Amino acid sequence: MRDSGSHPLRALIAVAHFLWNLPRTVLIGLLIAYRKVVSPLYGQVCRFFPSCSAYALEAVTVHGAVKGSWLAFRRLIRCHPWNGGGVDHVPEGHRIWDTKKVPRIIVLNHPVIPADEDSRSAA
Amino acid sequence: MGFFETILFPFKWVVSWIMWIFHEGFVFLGMDAASGWTWTLSIIGLVIVIRAALIPVFVKQIKAQRGMQSLQPDLKKLQQKYKGKTDQLSRQAMTQEQMALYKKHGTNPFAACLPMLIQMPFFFALFQVLNGVSKASANGQDIGALSSKAIQQFDEATILGAPLSSSLLHGGGGDGQVAVVILSIVMILAMTASQFITQKQIMSKNMSEEALASPFMKQQKMMLYVLPLVFGVGGINFPIGVLIYWTTTNLWTMGQQFFVIRRMPTPGSPAAKAMAERRARKGLPMVPLLGEPKGETPVEVAAAPKGQRPQPQRKNRKRK
Repeated sequence: MRDSGSHPLRALIAVAHFLWNLPRTVLIGLLIAYRKVVSPLYGQVCRFFPSCSAYALEAVTVHGAVKGSWLAFRRLIRCHPWNGGGVDHVPEGHRIWDTKKVPRIIVLNHPVIPADEDSRSAA
Repeated sequence: MGFFETILFPFKWVVSWIMWIFHEGFVFLGMDAASGWTWTLSIIGLVIVIRAALIPVFVKQIKAQRGMQSLQPDLKKLQQKYKGKTDQLSRQAMTQEQMALYKKHGTNPFAACLPMLIQMPFFFALFQVLNGVSKASANGQDIGALSSKAIQQFDEATILGAPLSSSLLHGGGGDGQVAVVILSIVMILAMTASQFITQKQIMSKNMSEEALASPFMKQQKMMLYVLPLVFGVGGINFPIGVLIYWTTTNLWTMGQQFFVIRRMPTPGSPAAKAMAERRARKGLPMVPLLGEPKGETPVEVAAAPKGQRPQPQRKNRKRK
């Protein structure tokens, strides 16, 4: 960005990018703060994997502020005592991440499940 | 209206309505409409309505927690598989497999997020109502179902000399500020005490040994020390009326827990043994407990093996 002065168009694009992403960035910040500060107070409450707050964080990261919030809201509505819970991942987005820059929450929400002991010993 | 006000608006409306109904009811029974006690009882009425509505959720959760025994073998296998793998990703993988397991067995021990979150807006709505009372009273406005006259009474209502809308840090108590300080501290202590008692009761009396050994216990124990801090910080900032609400909710939780431990204890816990002994002393047979595997009421297993499903793992606790 050091040469942005000589490329006003590039600077403009950067600003537009920043503004376009601002709602998402703000929501991500809020969600991370909630997960750090408020979540530990309640302990494990959620009936799903990933938990509602982890789901919301991934949804907003992957799908942006509007669609992400909508997905998170729908998940929250589902998380009631008469729902069996279980594994419920965020729908995949179109964005393809640089393998080195995959956001932490996506890595955490999609852990590699090691093979069972039984099948390993049988093999 | 800002974003939060828009979301809180319906909750504020419901809160003011419930309080109005209780207030009118108490006045009908002969209480003074302007008395702080009438308004205090209205706030307690609000707690009772909200918590009573959540009883089915609570019962459902207890049932699910008790239904865990059927999947103990599978859970043990899972713990074995992840034994010694303490890195975050392995933990995540284990949690995912665990959740899939709960789903498969149709029993999930967790309370779900919605009932927890749904209580928050009610709390904030009451907070907003109480915070807005002074201003609305000065401007002659009404809040939700509460008329401007009721608001004025509410604003002037005091309990033991402390105005309901004043707080320890932010004042508003006028001559009664000493009463505000004392009452706030008493309620902070009451909340902390009830929280400690509830938690200790659950852990020492109403948990089976497997549950006590689970990793979730660590989090539970942490709550024991974090929540009093939250009560303290909230307690000096929130108005007396909100503290009344908060304290009552905590006392309700404690009472609910006492009831569960006495009348429907966890099978296999010390509380269940105590109940069996109590009943034996009175010459009564033990009743089947909520969440106990079916077809296994203690007396029948010993006496009548008539074509029942063979489930040999549990012994009759009553016979000693």
